Amino acid sequence: MKNKAPFILLTPGLILLIVFMFLPLVTIIWPTFYDGKLTFGSYLSFFQDNYNLSVFWRTLRVSLIVTLICILLGVPTAYYIARTSKKWRGLMMAMSLFPLLTNSVIRSFAWINILGTNGVINDFLMKLGIITEPIKMLYTDSAIVVGSVYLFLPLMIITLVGVIENIDLEMVEAAETLGANRLTAFMKVVLPLSLPGIIVGSILVFSGTLSAYTTPQLLGGNQNMMLSTFLYQNAMTLGNWQSAGVIALIMIVTTIIVMKLFNMIAAKFDKRGGEHA
Amino acid sequence: MTYVDLKDIRVSYDGKNNILKDLNLSIEKGELVSLLGPSGCGKTTTLRVIAGLIEPNDGDFVVDNKNLTRVPVHKRNFGMVFQSYALFPHLTVKENVGFGLKLRKEDKTTMNPKIQDILEVTGLAELGDRYPKQLSGGQRQRVALARALVIEPKLLLLDEPLSNLDAKLRVQMRIEIKRIQRKLGITSVFVTHDQEECFSISDRVAVMNNGIIEQFDTPEEIYNRPKTEFVARFIGFENFFNLTKQGEKTYTTSEGHMLKTSQSWDDTKLVATIRPDDINILPKGTEQDTNMIPGKVVVRTFLGKSYQYEVETNVGKILVNGPKETAYSSGEELLLQFPEEKLILV
Repeated sequence: MKNKAPFILLTPGLILLIVFMFLPLVTIIWPTFYDGKLTFGSYLSFFQDNYNLSVFWRTLRVSLIVTLICILLGVPTAYYIARTSKKWRGLMMAMSLFPLLTNSVIRSFAWINILGTNGVINDFLMKLGIITEPIKMLYTDSAIVVGSVYLFLPLMIITLVGVIENIDLEMVEAAETLGANRLTAFMKVVLPLSLPGIIVGSILVFSGTLSAYTTPQLLGGNQNMMLSTFLYQNAMTLGNWQSAGVIALIMIVTTIIVMKLFNMIAAKFDKRGGEHA
Repeated sequence: MTYVDLKDIRVSYDGKNNILKDLNLSIEKGELVSLLGPSGCGKTTTLRVIAGLIEPNDGDFVVDNKNLTRVPVHKRNFGMVFQSYALFPHLTVKENVGFGLKLRKEDKTTMNPKIQDILEVTGLAELGDRYPKQLSGGQRQRVALARALVIEPKLLLLDEPLSNLDAKLRVQMRIEIKRIQRKLGITSVFVTHDQEECFSISDRVAVMNNGIIEQFDTPEEIYNRPKTEFVARFIGFENFFNLTKQGEKTYTTSEGHMLKTSQSWDDTKLVATIRPDDINILPKGTEQDTNMIPGKVVVRTFLGKSYQYEVETNVGKILVNGPKETAYSSGEELLLQFPEEKLILV
């Protein structure tokens, strides 16, 4: 403790976090463990209920699928953007970030108009005579997936563009002189070196999808609850703050565990010697 | 026998300015040829055309009687060492070196001995399991070389491979590269802007300027007999003055001093050049003869092994190096003698 200055600099932020984040969290979560005595009862009963479990698994499944789709769509897009000339790169970045600039309620309503029973897609397919009855697309898991991908893809792209821009183009050329065609060079050089970006992007997309409220509420409806909408229902509609606290902690722990897992996968693939020469 | 042939190669990025202008270059099998020139002269572009990383707008590129102009990079089987080394940071030394072999679907049993061999040739045998980050600059350079050589390439291309090393290591590595190149007998093209490096390593040197080759010769020939003023200036000639032809191997300066030369050119007006080291200084009072021009010392600089004088003469300022035993002071008058075999006409 020779130098106290850094701690002094930290204080304002720390106070803000403790008062407005940590304390409220404790006051919500503490009652879920304390019922006259210390107990895990609320958690055990949460996971014994089939409905609760279905919401939990849906949330995990949807979040993972969204993350996967964002990786598949984001990596090639980011590679393309990172490799275009500076002149166009700014414009392309602006275009891919555009969805972030609009309100998430408006964005979700747009998807309601597209996916709904009388929406654009059903209308189109029926007019073409491909289908006679509208397909149910809105208020399904898939609708949540589509809405969330649209919402979070920009985060994946900006993270990856930054990482891919820093990959020395000579490495790709070196791979090509050694006999790799464009695709092989991409798979064997660019992709492994983009891994840190893919991990960061995945964590952003995953935790974003897991905790998003508006999109699952508007596109999933009440039949396809996610943890966030379920939490809201418990707290605001049912006034059951005990269950809301349980769900809140489950969401936090799930996010942390999945982040850890992503990092472990990354470490397994990315073993390029830690020490610096 | 010509092995590599560049015929009338033209490269232009914008359709207006040519980076390479109808460049011709023929390289023989087993030769190490350097492309020497200042930055922006087109030497790296030439190398990239050879590698297949740039497709020329016009012209043909032939290796071993096969036209490779439109053959993509990954099918050419040339080894290339990049200025930044471009090692794959996520792979070990062995995996980096084995990258090309693996792409050729080689079996582990044939691949591993090849990797081991080349690691030994390049002095990396102990470092196979390290990652590039854990290596020094010189070691990374060797890995880049080993990776390019292990695929048994038809051509080895080196793009300023030594410019990121410190001076001592640079000298060591260029000897090493030469040794390995000789040992494997591999035809090589070496790009550099450092003339000492280039002269020490090359069988022949192509001096480039503005997208053309000004002179393609042995290092000795280029050093002793530069053919153009650009080449002369680039390799350290400092003194240039105009001459008018009087007769066979006899010229006069603008002030009428008679100079004899060992070369003879047909032009009536040309430029003569000579290195500061090759001029003899004679004290004032020596009898005036041909190939002598009087002058007055303006500045004297101590160079360690000699003195350098800036001498004002009626053909302009001349730089002369004189022995450190006799120091002429500024303002002193003297006679400069230009030995006829050292006087170069360009």
